[in-house]
Formats: sequence, C-alpha cells, structure tokens
Amino acid sequence: MTTEAMTATQTVTLEVFRYHPDTDTEPSYQSYEVPYREEWVVLDALNWLKDEVDGTLSYRWSCRMGVCGSCGMMVNGYPRLTCNAFLREFMPGPIRVEPLRGFPVERDMVTVLDDFMEKLTDVKPWIIREEEQPIEEGEYRQSPSQLADFKQFSMCINCMLCYAACPVYEHEDEFIGPAALALAQRYNLDSRDEGNAQRQELIWSDEGIWDCTFIGECSTVCPKHVDPAAAIQQAKVEATNSFFISLLPFTPPGMGR
Amino acid sequence: MPGPLPRTKSNDWWNRRWAYRLVLLRELSAFAVAGYLVLLLLLVASVREGESAFADHLDVLKNPLLWIVHAVLLGLVQFHTSTWFRLVPKAMPLKLGGWRVPGELLIAGVNGAWLAVSVIVLVIFLVAA
Repeated sequence: MTTEAMTATQTVTLEVFRYHPDTDTEPSYQSYEVPYREEWVVLDALNWLKDEVDGTLSYRWSCRMGVCGSCGMMVNGYPRLTCNAFLREFMPGPIRVEPLRGFPVERDMVTVLDDFMEKLTDVKPWIIREEEQPIEEGEYRQSPSQLADFKQFSMCINCMLCYAACPVYEHEDEFIGPAALALAQRYNLDSRDEGNAQRQELIWSDEGIWDCTFIGECSTVCPKHVDPAAAIQQAKVEATNSFFISLLPFTPPGMGR
Repeated sequence: MPGPLPRTKSNDWWNRRWAYRLVLLRELSAFAVAGYLVLLLLLVASVREGESAFADHLDVLKNPLLWIVHAVLLGLVQFHTSTWFRLVPKAMPLKLGGWRVPGELLIAGVNGAWLAVSVIVLVIFLVAA
C-alpha cells in the first residue's frame, strides 16, 4: 500500500455530543469513524459526517477561516474554533466534540446565546457622543497612537470561546463576561467616545469587572488575541483610581472624569 | 417537548486543566502570606514583652518543624508574588511618551526591583548581625 492510500484509509473516532430538544431529556455521546486527513480540521470532519453519515447533526459554522466566530465548540474539553483545530493535533484520538460550556444547548452543538446578546447590548458597545459635531466639521479624527490604545480590544469576533473558558461565567448568572467587558473597554478607550459615564454603573458593578477573579483563561483561548483579562483588569485599576480620587477634597489636575 | 438543555454548573472546574489548578493555588497561597504575617506579629509581640520573651521566642524558632513551616511559607509566598508579577503587564500596561513598554520588560522590571529590595534587606540583616 502506498503512503497516500494508507492516509486515505486511516480514520479517527469522533465522540460527538448529541441532544435533540424534541425527543431527548438527557444528552448523549455518539461515536463516529471519520477519515483522517492531515489537512482536515475538526469542522471538516463534522461537515463530512453531516454530508455522508448523519444529516441530523447540528452545529453552527460559516467562514471556515477563523473570522466569523460561529464554529466554537469544546474540542477534548477545551474551547476552540473548530475551523482552527486540526485533527492532527488530537491524533490518535478519540476526539470529543461538545457544545461550548456555560450555555444552554439548543440542539447538538448549537448553543443558546441570548444571555450574551443581552449583556452585550447592556454595555453599549458603540460610540456615544454627548453632542454630535456637525457634518461640515468632518470626521472624528484619531491618531495611530489613539487607535493603538483600543485596537486590540476591537478584534473580538464574538465566538464565545472566552465565555466557555470562564468558570466565573459558568457559575455566576449575572456576570457580564469577558468579551462584553472587553468591548466596553474598547469603546471607553476610544478617543472619539464620550460614553464612559453611561457605561460606568454597569461595568464597575459586581456583575461587571468585580466578579472577575483574573483566572485569565479567557485570554489564553481567544483566537484573535483580544486579551479580555487585560481589558477587565485595566478597568479595575481605573475604577479603583477613580474611587480614591473621589475621596479627595479636590480634583487633581488631569484626573477629572 | 423537553426544549433546550439548561446550562450546567460544575464544581470541578478547578480540576479541569493545569491553568485552573495553578490559579487556585495562586489564590490559596494568599493564606501563606497571611500565615507568615501571623508568625511575624508573634515575633514583634515578643519584642514588646521584653528581652527574655524575645530570647524565648528565638529558641522556639530554632525548632526544626518551624524551619520547615518557614521554608514552605517562603516557597508559597514566592509563588504568590511571582504569579501576580507575571500579570502586571495585563493590569498596568506602561506607556512612556509614545512607547509601549513590552510586557516581558515590565515583568523583568518588577522582578528586578523585588530582587534589589531582597538584596538590600539581606545586606542590612548581615551588617546588623
């Protein structure tokens, strides 16, 4: 047998989480043998399964190039974009594929993201101006250095891997969570934004930054290197500074919020 | 129709990965910091009580068991401190003029300062002894 033929017949076991909301009361795991290809990612294997073996298998995906953030799942217990997780990393297998941890499951690997969507809206992730400047005055200009202040935190693709990696989000229903807090910080740091005060009450509350215990796995799993843990800790430093400054009988120059 | 599967919470989260176990150890090692503080306060209290009480306390400290306790506490306090020092660039990124100080340099800086203070304390201790 040639090497090529051997590769073609080599298989790997996928243990896939199954749950059907109409018929199941408990989730179960189903094992499938899928062809092993060196260049295949877990998402390729799932797509092969859905096309060739079991059309009822449900999961989200779109771009298959690490941009859309749809195909996040637990792969061997770790949150991954499945389009970015090569089968060869997990050989000889088996590879366990489950829905992202910490979310209700709609069906198979499809999670319910309503909680995040609400929390994301709550942090007002858009540019807020006290007064819009007239169009004749042109665009709001920003220097490369001002852009660099927040750019990292703006790279989020809402893939939810950081939520699946966060034990605080798993246990605290009210916790806003890493991505939404990082996006709040992204707008707070934007030189064009004036919405800091509007976001403050929520961000600086217990459900906001203070629920975070700085475990840091949100940053480790982030496929876009957003570093939500850094965003949250920096907000904590700001909140602390602001608290102590508010105790002073005067406002030090340049410290007013 | 059962509907969507509710989200699950499990208390074994800390045992899932080494990253989580180390975080838990980081948090628990705060007790070592508090523990050493108690030992230090006992020492200070003996000084306050007078020379003989202090001498008695020093005798007690020669107990091998207390040597071991101190060594374990020192290890845990070192671990506690270094884990937090590693997180400094995340919590307090430094911008000097337009230059963003690289994270590794910040970590090296705080560790260097820590080492320098330790050396100064050691020198004072040796000179005093």
